[in-house]
Amino acid sequence: RLTPVRWSRYGPSYLEPDVSKELYQKPLEELSEEEKEKLKLRAVHPIKAAPPSVSTSVFSDPMISKFTNMMMKNGNKVLARSLMSQTLEAIKRKQLEKYHKAPEGEKETIECNPYVIFHQALKNCQPIIGLSSITRGGKTYQVPVPLNDSRKRFLAMKWLITECRENKHRRTLMPEKLSQELLQAFNNEGPIIKKKHVLHKMAEANRAYAHFRWW
Amino acid sequence: KMLRSLRGLVCHPQKLDHRYALHTAAKDCLSSLVKQDVQTPAEGPRAVFYTSENDPANHAEHHEGRHYTIPLEEVKAVFPHGLPHRFQQQIKTFNEACLMVRKPALELFAYLKKSNFAHPAVRYVIYGEKGTGKTMTLCHVVHYCSRQGWLVLHIPDAHLWVKNCRELLQSSYNKDRLDQPLQASFWLKNFKTSNERFLKEIKTQRKYVWGKRDSTEEGRPLGEVVEQGLARVRNASDAVGVVLKEIKQQCHLGFFRLLVAVDGVNALWGRTTLKKEDKSPVSPEELTLVYNLRKMMRNDWSGGAVVTTLSQTGSLFKPRSAYLPQELLGKEGFDVLDPFIPILVSNYSAAEFESCYQYYRHCRWLQHPRGQ
Repeated sequence: RLTPVRWSRYGPSYLEPDVSKELYQKPLEELSEEEKEKLKLRAVHPIKAAPPSVSTSVFSDPMISKFTNMMMKNGNKVLARSLMSQTLEAIKRKQLEKYHKAPEGEKETIECNPYVIFHQALKNCQPIIGLSSITRGGKTYQVPVPLNDSRKRFLAMKWLITECRENKHRRTLMPEKLSQELLQAFNNEGPIIKKKHVLHKMAEANRAYAHFRWW
Repeated sequence: KMLRSLRGLVCHPQKLDHRYALHTAAKDCLSSLVKQDVQTPAEGPRAVFYTSENDPANHAEHHEGRHYTIPLEEVKAVFPHGLPHRFQQQIKTFNEACLMVRKPALELFAYLKKSNFAHPAVRYVIYGEKGTGKTMTLCHVVHYCSRQGWLVLHIPDAHLWVKNCRELLQSSYNKDRLDQPLQASFWLKNFKTSNERFLKEIKTQRKYVWGKRDSTEEGRPLGEVVEQGLARVRNASDAVGVVLKEIKQQCHLGFFRLLVAVDGVNALWGRTTLKKEDKSPVSPEELTLVYNLRKMMRNDWSGGAVVTTLSQTGSLFKPRSAYLPQELLGKEGFDVLDPFIPILVSNYSAAEFESCYQYYRHCRWLQHPRGQ
């Protein structure tokens, strides 16, 4: 039998682990038909081991863990994780300061939850269309191309991190820089949003080559 | 208040972060720890965790577990340097300073109210595990005493005087000792902000000569000594020594009461990480600041009290699990402080934790929907 991935030691019958407590805590009667089917299937098949970064905690978030992995250097996950939590705390502090100083009418409009801000900022940074270099007749053209969801998320996170690492003053700490960038992206301003707009404009300018794309 | 106190109740959930583990966990709160049938009066605004009694003198047992506010101007006047860093951040974020009334503080107030000021000063040592609230208790006591009109000698962290010191000058007054101009001038500046009116009232009793041209005559207000220390940074440590000596001598006359509040008193008797120019280690007696402070710790003066805190956090060469006075002070320190009243501060009890949780919820500090 051929396995779909080259080096994976698991056979084809292995299923991915399901890490949601809510599903398994429901008593039998409340389950719908499909869920019962799914549970029966899982009872029969072997299941792969869950990686250590996935947890059943209510506070774990796949986007946050992906972002922390991208921020990690030399495998130092402890440092990356602490920087991430410091960033979230910094965002919360800044927003709470604004909230407590604002007059009654504006208090509703200020968003204090750092997770909401993080997700919204990433969404605002994601480009809709990307460019890929295609070589035809010796010349390379930048062709506008639609992007996957995962590619968009990756580009947004990559831009955020490189922006923070390179374009800031040497002495400012990463959480501070990141919180500033995230708040700016949340309000649709700032250098990363500009980069996204520049990319969109380039794609619009190269519309003529769009037919080079064959997929 | 530090959320580190919750460490005692939560058994180390995520070991991946160092000290921020608890902050993440507490920030997104521990919904599992809160009982399901919590009676939170949705109406009664903050009755459970808040009291409007802002004067520490009137705090009684029924206020236990409640938070009281300190107006921001008073915070700047009374605590220019006393509050821990995280509490200062919290004040900045919430735009108000709220302190919880707890049993050790109430105990201390009772002792202070009943103490006889004709007797030699009583020494209280606040000890407890890491992150239980010793510094905050000390700040509460300082606030109480400043409201009562005492002269407060607050040293925020004695560990700062025995480590990470860039400049060490040889003292002009005594050849063996070393001066620390930076730390001394910083402390003098803060002392000036907190005790302005006393500096005008207390007069020097001797003439002090600072150098070839500067000297302070007898009978000048102490404010001048402080100015001298701030202006001539080289003499700052000596200025500190003079201030301490004068205050100690005049305290028993009864014009004012003195509270000596030292945080991290175990720094005075341990080892230091400082080295002289020939790379030989410096022992604490050789530092002027430490030497003068040790003189204050002895109970040969009357008319006040000495409240100190042990602290493992900044301590040098002590294991992390040490929190008892015997371990942290060492034999030398323990012998000097010997007849002292120990006050244990422990982690939040269930009721205190509940009150703290309600306060954070009220201030919208807990943002995660599952944390509420």
